[in-house]
Amino acid sequence: MLLNRRLKYLQIAFNRSLPEVETMINLLPPSDRILIEAGTSFIKNYGVSGISQLVSIWEWRLGHKGYIVADLKCMDRGFTEVKAAADAGASAATCLGLAPIETINDFIKSCLEIGIDSMVDMMNVEFPFEVLQKLKKMPDIVVLHRGVDEQLNKEKMIPHHNINRIKGAYNVFISVAGGEGLKDVTRTFFNGGDIAVVWRPFYNEPNLTTQLAEQFLTRIKGHAKE
Amino acid sequence: MPKNNINNETPMEKLMTLAGDSLLNYLAAAAREQSLNNADTLFGQKEEEITPTFNLLGPTLEQRKKYLQIALNNGLIEAREIISQLPQSEKILIEVGTPMIKIYGLRAIREIKMLSPESYIVADAKVADLAEREVALLAGAGANAATCLGVAPLETIEEFINACENYKIDSMLDMMNVESSIAVLKKLKKLPSVVILHRGVDETEFSKEKVIPYYQIKQIKGRFNLMVSVAGGDTPLEIQSAFFNDADIVVVWKNFMQADESIGQLADSFLKEIR
Repeated sequence: MLLNRRLKYLQIAFNRSLPEVETMINLLPPSDRILIEAGTSFIKNYGVSGISQLVSIWEWRLGHKGYIVADLKCMDRGFTEVKAAADAGASAATCLGLAPIETINDFIKSCLEIGIDSMVDMMNVEFPFEVLQKLKKMPDIVVLHRGVDEQLNKEKMIPHHNINRIKGAYNVFISVAGGEGLKDVTRTFFNGGDIAVVWRPFYNEPNLTTQLAEQFLTRIKGHAKE
Repeated sequence: MPKNNINNETPMEKLMTLAGDSLLNYLAAAAREQSLNNADTLFGQKEEEITPTFNLLGPTLEQRKKYLQIALNNGLIEAREIISQLPQSEKILIEVGTPMIKIYGLRAIREIKMLSPESYIVADAKVADLAEREVALLAGAGANAATCLGVAPLETIEEFINACENYKIDSMLDMMNVESSIAVLKKLKKLPSVVILHRGVDETEFSKEKVIPYYQIKQIKGRFNLMVSVAGGDTPLEIQSAFFNDADIVVVWKNFMQADESIGQLADSFLKEIR
């Protein structure tokens, strides 16, 4: 895996227009703990050229190559999409846990061959364990996810309880998406999550990008294993 | 660094090598400064309104007719070749496949719409979240229909169907890897325009025992007033079976994957089948 297993990370998902995203990335503190996500709708809007633009913008800001997640949400024909995203410079790609098992297996194999991290997104999967049990090989990262549209339904909770259950059984990194506040991010790290994915605060208040990122980063430092 | 590399450097790279980190830092700081200046004006504006210009007067689907949907998955150059060989017919729908959308972005839809302005364009975006935003983008690019995953959260599917209605495009719900399509449809407040019964490409390749559930076509059409599309078949026999079992749309792609001379003939023979 390209990430350091001993560290915690903050993944910021970007779905606004490219000029806006460029401005926002330039406002971020240059930190290796920040992973930049090209959101699914961003990718559908700009294609892989959008991904390579994010790669170079973040590289410029960091002074070296950063970690870019291509949120492809593969559902079929994983190899084609993974290859295109990796060629554009992505360090990781996502596949839906809802996809046919054949697709997930092929996705993980493709990521391994190509040399990027594989993330399996468990959005709307009732029992992530059942999916993991069926796989030939584990992904590098399992994403526990409450979708954006699902957040309209207040009853749906982020399954924090699954973090330690999965980590107890499998040697995988856990990323948690769908919680947006400082409290949610703290809860993710407190419960053993390795990556917290945030989106909405940055989407809603891009002006405050610097302050928001710094606030979130303090939560990571509080839970550093170093 | 080897000498020949230095000789191959561009003037900008040479300057950077000479100035080292300090110049890089200076430029990064300048970019940040610029971004801070941009931020107020850029984020002060409302997000651009997306107006679906193409599809208001565009082609529409009619419930009693049969359609052949041709999925384009192999890049814009091949897509151009395939489109040029297709017979002109309102019964042929053109699908911009998921890999095309993810690789080229909305440009793929715009270019295909430009190449074939009269055609009905299906954007196989496989929406799984953020439905409203994605539908707005796809409709704005000229799609006449978009697809959403049947395995997506119910909230997303409902948001998707509403958004398609607002943007005046058809909503297609793709039942790939859904155990019971009827159970999903029963939970919805509003029905999609089309339901797609789908066996994925990976499923077809790796699990030969998985079959297209033709028997579901009549079950679905008997209970709900909507059109049924069948995807995942790639032999003429499977296409015949789909129409014989009352499918309204059949999606083909494998025979159309590589552009060659027979594409026009293939489309012609499919059109004969569906007459």
